[in-house]
Amino acid sequence: MATVQFKKIIKKFGDNLVLNGVDVDIKDHEFVVIVGPSGCGKTTLLRMLAGLEEITDGEIFIDNLLVNELHPSKREIAMVFQDYALYPHMTVEENMNFALRLRKMPKKEIAARVTEAANILQLNKFLKRMPKQLSGGQRQRVAIGRAIVRKPKVFLFDEPLSNLDAKLREEMRVEIAKLYQRLNATIIYVTHDQVEAMTLAGRIVIMNHGIVQQVGSPIEVYRKPCNLFVAGFIGSPTMNLLSGRLSIADGVSVFFNESLTLPIPAFVLPQKEARDGREVVLGIRPDDVLVEHPGGEKCSSKIEGVLEVCELLGHRENLYLKVGGQRLLATVEAFFNRSPGSAVSLCLNYQNMHIFDKVTERRISE
Amino acid sequence: METLKSIYEVTWFILLVAAGVAVLIGYLYSHFKFYSRSWFFPAALAAFPLLALAVFGGLLGGYTFKLWLYFLLAEAAIAAFFRSVVKGRHTVPYLMLAPAFVGLALLLVYPFIFEVYLSFHDLKLTTIMTWKNTGTLPFVGIDQYVKVFTTSPLSETTFWHLLLRTLVWTFSNVFFHVLGGFILALMLNNHIKFKGFYRTLLVIPWAMPQVVAVLAMRGEFHSTNGFVNIVINKLLAVFPFLAGLGVAPVQWLTDYPLLTCTLINIWLGIPFMMVVILGGLQSISSSYYDAADIDGASYFQKLRFITLPLVRPVMMPAVTLGTVWTFNNINVIYLVTGQAGGTEQADILVSALYKAAFTYNRYSYSAAFALVVFAMLFFFSVFYLKSFDAAKDER
Amino acid sequence: MKKKMSAAAKRKRLNHLLLHTGLILFAAACVYPLLRIFSVSLRPGDKLVSMDLSIIPAGATLISYTKLLGDTMFLRWLWNSLLITLATSFIGVSLASTAAYAFSRFRFPGKKVGMILLLSSQMIPAGMLILPLFLMIMKLKLMNTYLGMIIAYSVSSLPFSIWILKGYYDTIPRSLEEAALVDGTSQVGAFWRIILPLSTPALSIAFLFNFTTAWNEYLVARVVLFSSKQYTWTLGLFELQGQYITQWGMFAAGSMLVTIPVLCVFLYSSKWLISGLTLGSVKG
Repeated sequence: MATVQFKKIIKKFGDNLVLNGVDVDIKDHEFVVIVGPSGCGKTTLLRMLAGLEEITDGEIFIDNLLVNELHPSKREIAMVFQDYALYPHMTVEENMNFALRLRKMPKKEIAARVTEAANILQLNKFLKRMPKQLSGGQRQRVAIGRAIVRKPKVFLFDEPLSNLDAKLREEMRVEIAKLYQRLNATIIYVTHDQVEAMTLAGRIVIMNHGIVQQVGSPIEVYRKPCNLFVAGFIGSPTMNLLSGRLSIADGVSVFFNESLTLPIPAFVLPQKEARDGREVVLGIRPDDVLVEHPGGEKCSSKIEGVLEVCELLGHRENLYLKVGGQRLLATVEAFFNRSPGSAVSLCLNYQNMHIFDKVTERRISE
Repeated sequence: METLKSIYEVTWFILLVAAGVAVLIGYLYSHFKFYSRSWFFPAALAAFPLLALAVFGGLLGGYTFKLWLYFLLAEAAIAAFFRSVVKGRHTVPYLMLAPAFVGLALLLVYPFIFEVYLSFHDLKLTTIMTWKNTGTLPFVGIDQYVKVFTTSPLSETTFWHLLLRTLVWTFSNVFFHVLGGFILALMLNNHIKFKGFYRTLLVIPWAMPQVVAVLAMRGEFHSTNGFVNIVINKLLAVFPFLAGLGVAPVQWLTDYPLLTCTLINIWLGIPFMMVVILGGLQSISSSYYDAADIDGASYFQKLRFITLPLVRPVMMPAVTLGTVWTFNNINVIYLVTGQAGGTEQADILVSALYKAAFTYNRYSYSAAFALVVFAMLFFFSVFYLKSFDAAKDER
Repeated sequence: MKKKMSAAAKRKRLNHLLLHTGLILFAAACVYPLLRIFSVSLRPGDKLVSMDLSIIPAGATLISYTKLLGDTMFLRWLWNSLLITLATSFIGVSLASTAAYAFSRFRFPGKKVGMILLLSSQMIPAGMLILPLFLMIMKLKLMNTYLGMIIAYSVSSLPFSIWILKGYYDTIPRSLEEAALVDGTSQVGAFWRIILPLSTPALSIAFLFNFTTAWNEYLVARVVLFSSKQYTWTLGLFELQGQYITQWGMFAAGSMLVTIPVLCVFLYSSKWLISGLTLGSVKG
């Protein structure tokens, strides 16, 4: 198993800058998920690590070995492709041992490794079948099996679950998590789905427009998103973002826009960041919009709003509220027994409030 | 014994080609790999021209110093090209392309250039022996091109006449191919019994070897033994009043050779169009027709507003290809009228070209003729493809 | 309601009846000439010329076939054609398979020019290159030989084969080769182990196309071959069909012998052939 380092990686397709100075250190045995919207460069980054894409500038190290010029097969990596890329003219077994046969490994060793991988993935029954005779989930497992038998230093997953339907995707997510515990390998996993990122990752790398936005554990990026993009990207349903200004009155900072005025306590916004008239964006997750709540110390004063639509999800319920001209989404326990149009009172949880500078989009709250 | 010898001969040739490809790959690979080394340039200049001289010298006119000098210059140019332009990039695609590229250069591009050379010189039956022995030919400038437009490639028919005939031939053939193909495809594109069986029978004219098909059809147009005239005679016997309307057996091959050729070629060409159009029809989703039914469209309205526009993209390339093929079709005309004493009433540009070269042995003249025909075809295609692209962009 | 249904059903039946009649007529027009050849091939020698339209003639005999195989060099002609055709198809498809891969998978300077050149080579009139090829073969002293024929034929279908194969390669996902690269093959190895085995349908189409072109070729053979021992079957049949009415029976017999296998192969493979043709021509 191994470490991976990206140092100032730049990738251009013609004049089009796809990656702009990516620096990431990945530790041994780590499960790192690279997440971002499509076109953010995450797959390109993975393919550069695999050696399938030329590196315009910068350096990539696997186990402290510079691999920029190394052929993909010499990098001791294994990759699971988005469309699985199973060789259609080979059986499952041949697919799995292809790489080992290429390396002229002894037959016994090959058989042993394939059997082991097949056991882990419950593929024993399918070894003699052709890929087209398998279901989507089974193909997915073969693709993973093909990676496992190699015993590579690093596993690369390129959006492996995006071709599966929702239910199967959940199952495979759990399987991959189990597999990680079992293999205890270095895994780099690319996805656009933040739920996969949150559930699987040891650390998340969030990318946008070819730039790494934030690196951190799932809880870090969820609790303390470092900029507006991360705040909006991570978390479902999406965070409420309210534009407004700060004003300082008697040493207390106040957030205000046309619809609401909200004092910001000092434990949320440090003194040095509070400037009169500063344009900011206030972020609050739907879970932290407390409806019909008794209020308290960590909570803002009551705000009056109107209920527009209720969405029952089962155990939770989404409430689309309007405060003045400002829309807010709140998620509460089911069942919220009010008809649309009725007035509700709500307050915002100060403990999980995020404030960003509108111009730089950086987080300025604690 | 003879069979064994022929197998041996052909196998030997294929191995030779394989060896040639291997040598070519090795040669180019060395340039890709070592182009930047300081020793490579002198080494390449010393070795490759000598090797080339040893291999090709006998073929290209003796092991002369002049030939070695040519090889030396060529090698210098190639090595410099690799050093300053290619620089060892794109090795794999270039190496994979090289054999086909060299093959095409030797057997397609070189003959083409040679044709241009011929067209400015005078190669005919009287000069071919001197050319064979000395390799030199009298230079005549654009004389041959002037002759193309002023004299006849055959014994009487002029260039302009041939051109007109070619246009009529091409247009009528393509028109009936598309029309016939469309009708048959529409008929086949129904849920009826024996569909596969009909389709199989209908592609037979395309599937038969063309030589057999044309020669057989020519027999059917024979004045006494051909099917067509036999049927006309039988009709006349049953319905005598037809004779009063001017129906009589026709001397197809001598009186209407072009019409005969056209009929034969239409028969040959319909299946291809049918298959292509049928493919297009089957790819149209039935939901369009369901929607049209709900909107109350009649059969012909559906044909006009759904089928035609949706089949068009599949049909256009096929029609382009078909036009070029028909324009270039020597086979039918030559096989029907090409024997000794055959008529020239049916000749179109390309068959006249073939006859000028190999029946009348006017080599240089036919080369100029061929280039004129090529130029016409080329500009037609460019123009046509441009307009097709423009239509594509509009959509 | 019931009455209306039956009216619609009636109309449908009528339609189908019309369709079947039309199709049978057209199909007859397509098959009949072939049946006529068959009929001529069975006629006894003294009735070769006849106004008879029946398919199995009175006094049907196989004499034309025995005469064809016994008195002429028909088998030799078939063998000549077969050798020349196999060799050219093999060379043509091998060259096309790698070239098409380069065009399909790589970006390199000159790619666009190359593709345009390939397309425009289709505009060259068929008769145009025969003359220089003939002169070249004459200079190489290969007149009247297999090698001369193979050389003349070998690249004639190359552009079209490259076009077909490129169209097919384009449909194979790139990730397959990338997986092979990660698994440890080289770029060329990925082509050899993954792409080629997967392309057997397209390769067969290209092979078949090369084969039929060379198998049915007449004009070049006419110019290059002059001794009847070296003839291909097209030349031989044309000769037989020539002037002497007495040889009509043998021409017909020969035509049947050549046509039947070709027809079988064609009809067997027509499904792929057609999809291959549309692949190659519709794209672009």
